Amino acid sequence: MPKLPKLPAGGIRIVVIAIIVLIVMSSSIYTIEPEEVGVLVRLGRFSGINDPGLHFKLPLGIDKVFKVAVQRQLKKEFGFRTLEPGVRSQFTTAGLQDESNMLTGDLNAVVVEWVVQYRVVDPYKYLFRVREVEETFRDLSEAVMRKVVGDRTVNEVLTVGRQEIEDLVSQELQVLCDQYETGIRVEQVVLQDVNPPDPVKPSFNEVNQSEQERERMINEAQSEYNKIIPRAEGEARQTIQQAEGYALNRVNRAQGDASRFESMYTEYRKAPEVTRTRIYLETMSKILPQAGRKVILDEELEGVLPLMNLDGTTIQKGGGQ
Amino acid sequence: MTRLAPIVILVLLVIVFANAAFVVNEWEQVIITQFGQPVRDPIVTPGLKFKIPFIQKLHRFDRRFLEWEGAVAELPTKDKVFILVDGYARWRISDPLLFFQRLRNEMGAQSRLDDILDGETRNAIAKHELLQVTRSTNRVPEVDEAMPELKGHLEEISEGREDIRQQVLEAGQARTSDLGIEVLDVQFKRINYGEQVLQDVYQRMTSERRRIAERFRSEGQGEKAGILGDMDRELKRIQSEAYREAEGIRGRADAEATDIYAKAYNQSAEARGFYEFLKTMETFEATVDPETLLLLSTDGDFYRYLKGSGP
Repeated sequence: MPKLPKLPAGGIRIVVIAIIVLIVMSSSIYTIEPEEVGVLVRLGRFSGINDPGLHFKLPLGIDKVFKVAVQRQLKKEFGFRTLEPGVRSQFTTAGLQDESNMLTGDLNAVVVEWVVQYRVVDPYKYLFRVREVEETFRDLSEAVMRKVVGDRTVNEVLTVGRQEIEDLVSQELQVLCDQYETGIRVEQVVLQDVNPPDPVKPSFNEVNQSEQERERMINEAQSEYNKIIPRAEGEARQTIQQAEGYALNRVNRAQGDASRFESMYTEYRKAPEVTRTRIYLETMSKILPQAGRKVILDEELEGVLPLMNLDGTTIQKGGGQ
Repeated sequence: MTRLAPIVILVLLVIVFANAAFVVNEWEQVIITQFGQPVRDPIVTPGLKFKIPFIQKLHRFDRRFLEWEGAVAELPTKDKVFILVDGYARWRISDPLLFFQRLRNEMGAQSRLDDILDGETRNAIAKHELLQVTRSTNRVPEVDEAMPELKGHLEEISEGREDIRQQVLEAGQARTSDLGIEVLDVQFKRINYGEQVLQDVYQRMTSERRRIAERFRSEGQGEKAGILGDMDRELKRIQSEAYREAEGIRGRADAEATDIYAKAYNQSAEARGFYEFLKTMETFEATVDPETLLLLSTDGDFYRYLKGSGP
């Protein structure tokens, strides 16, 4: 061994050694955060996965560690980007039309914005099987979404088919992710805004409006119906009840009249002449006081009639009544 | 001199070692050439490896799935619609030696893939109609219960997007098999209408929606008229039925009353006479009021008693 140049003093030598040791040490200690794992590569070869905590590795580039956040749910946005996450997040869609414009199965254009939530479940594959894995994942998501939307009508995409699209995209994307060995698990696909393109939006709104209008007209007619018919039914019942009342009244009266007549007739038959005379006289005695004026004519007198004004008013001229 | 010799030897050894040893990473594969000629089998496993220093040269290639992005091109379909197609492919270097011989490096591969895959995409699109490029299956569209009018229509297709994709993939695979690369997958990332076509499509969509909107309006008016018509009919029915029933009730009551009267008054000639008399009296009684001028003849029944009873 060649002799090293002589150091000025033992103290400095210790300091230098200490510094070297520290540098080596610091490059061989590392921490894995709770949501991460560390993928350890020794001389280029994968040699294991480290759980969260404090770990040592061989220094000088012999061991390399790649940290992958396997516990964290990651998210890719399509057709929009979150500018500032928060309670009221800010979004932009500027310049992302190419990402969100797509064709439906009935050859309409539609603008779809969506989010894919995913996790890295196989850090080895994620790191070493696909170059540009994130970009690949984006491409896959776009391709699958377009395929699924391309198999549906514009109405399905805008309204009823949303859930189905989310599920289907999620499934097919997972199949491709496995085929590509990305080590990614798709957790959820969520459709955000799904709209017709801006230039045709007014006509889509018109459809909604006219649908409302249709409902409104039907409701109006129904309410008119409901206003008139129950009342008419009530009135009909009233008419019938009145008729019933009339009928009762009529029959009862007839029975009353008949029964009175029967009684009187029974008595009458016992003494017809007297009864007749009695009734006649009774009637007259009732009538006479009621009549305003009475003129009694002796059959032997004549010439009274010409003086009478038969319209009932008194003759003023000619003096006296 | 003798004191320096070991240091020199050590340094030389380090230099030689550093040139002989190399690390192959997990994502790499390596071929080794000697004076430009490949020697030894390609190294496809990671770890620390050695070669003959200085004489042998190292060429590293990626072992992972690699990306290929197609150029966004406006292509005509069989039905002469210009669409923007943005494709991509994943491929990998399956035979690094062949790859090295045919393409030299990744740039060469990308450019060859451009030629092959862009061309195949163009062919495939030109051989199919837009509907086939868009659709994958002959599924029946789901219907919105609230608005069945908006069901829409998916025309029948014989071949679909997946078939076309498969055709491009197979053609691409066939044409790259002797290049030491393997195309794993071709996808159409984006297919959209060209700017020119888009305007027509917007117009078509607008008119289609207008048509539906008009239909809704007309349906609303029709429904309303129908309901009001129903209402009129119902109203007439209720009123006339009530009238019929009421008159029937009255009529039966009248008949019954008539019967009762007839039974009472018509039981004998005497009864008839008595009834006439009574009724006359009643009528007489009801007729006379304070306005009445009563002319009574002494010849009448009433005064007959008066006269007759005199002295």
